[in-house]
Amino acid sequence: MNNSILPSVWRFLALLAVQVLVLRPLFSTVGPYATILIYPLFVFFLPVKLPTPYLVFLGFLMGLFVDFFYVTLGIHASAGAFSGLIRPLVFAAFGPKGGFSGKEPVFSRFYFNWQSTLSAAAFFMVLHLFWYFAVDAFSYVFFVSVSLKTLVAWMLSMIFVVFYMALFKTQY
Amino acid sequence: MRTLLYLFVKNGGFVTFVIMEVMAFYLIVQFNSTQRTIWAHSMGMFGGHVAKREQETINYFRLRHLHDSLAQENARLQQQLANERYRLLLPLNRDSLFLGFRDSLLRRDTVLTRDLRPAFDFIPAEVVGNTITGNNNYLTLNKGSNDGLEPDMAVVTRSGIVGIIRQVSPHFSYVMSVLHRQSKISAKVKRYNAAGSLVWEGNDPATMTLRYIPKHFLIAPGDTIVTSGFSQMFPKGMIIGTVVEKPELDGENPYFLIVPVRLSQDMSAAQDVYVVRNRYAAELDSLKQQFIHEQ
Repeated sequence: MNNSILPSVWRFLALLAVQVLVLRPLFSTVGPYATILIYPLFVFFLPVKLPTPYLVFLGFLMGLFVDFFYVTLGIHASAGAFSGLIRPLVFAAFGPKGGFSGKEPVFSRFYFNWQSTLSAAAFFMVLHLFWYFAVDAFSYVFFVSVSLKTLVAWMLSMIFVVFYMALFKTQY
Repeated sequence: MRTLLYLFVKNGGFVTFVIMEVMAFYLIVQFNSTQRTIWAHSMGMFGGHVAKREQETINYFRLRHLHDSLAQENARLQQQLANERYRLLLPLNRDSLFLGFRDSLLRRDTVLTRDLRPAFDFIPAEVVGNTITGNNNYLTLNKGSNDGLEPDMAVVTRSGIVGIIRQVSPHFSYVMSVLHRQSKISAKVKRYNAAGSLVWEGNDPATMTLRYIPKHFLIAPGDTIVTSGFSQMFPKGMIIGTVVEKPELDGENPYFLIVPVRLSQDMSAAQDVYVVRNRYAAELDSLKQQFIHEQ
């Protein structure tokens, strides 16, 4: 039990800290397109067997904490909940054929190859970012600008995702 | 309950998602000024749309009221028009002491001192029963003696004549249609002022026949037929219809024409009608009675 909860708690704190203490001051002054989000990886690396309601709730919680520091109360929370909802779908699309065997607690590079984990994370990030910018714009009339922001932010964020995955193989 | 529970377990992720999103949206609108502005704007547009639809619905239910008030207004205008026509009929009151006195004072032209007595009242009513297929047709109106209707009043519409009231009850009245074998309406050809009697030969509910027009009048198809005003029931100059085809000589009396007239009011479609009350009907009647008595 400890094996699955504690690493997630640590990941929660670490990603939150990096997000709000490093990435926020670093890029908040650059411009509207230079948004880098790394905290969705917390949802991504939650245990595979965790039911969807928990994923949604924990994603919401993570986003809410980020919102406190970004002073955008509700927007990251909304995107976090959304990423919790779509994670099972992403795993079904990019995960192993025939589902997870049960021996892999997380969908990470420790158990799977670079290609499947990174493509899953990349797709996961696109969806999260799109939802985030859509809610941020709060109106469908900004569809083009939302798509553009998503593209740029995704490319910037993926650098950090790759960096994270290279650093941590994530056993639990 | 078990089904509900099963549904939740099966779709728990989505249900949680919806709950979380509702909370997130509440927070967004509550704490973010940009999004709050957009939200308020959207709600304003939505609210405006709802208010517009609401007004449209209310207007729809007011149509009945609107219809009644328009009918009243029409009746008033028709009345005014009929009285204007009647006024031109009246002789100059040269023998009136007062008017003579006033003339001498004001030195006005006598045309300006015609009597201004109104003669007709128009009462709006609605047709609630109508036949056109028999030899003797009748209509029922939704107004009766409580509304001031009496037998022998004329019934007209904006586009033509309908009939004459025969019986009244407190709330309804029974109207002899112009499509009746006994109906005989004094009418004239507008172009010549030539007066005759309009009767119905039966069968065709759109056509009546104008009789007793002397044959020297060159009546052509398209000539307008109007009321003569001689009967005192129908005001003068109300449209009845137009001549359909070239008139023939009357077989029984070859000095007169038989003029087929197409009614301008489709009798099967008579709906909003006006009952015409002649204010001097009683007076005229008693005058006529006196005359008959003397003979």
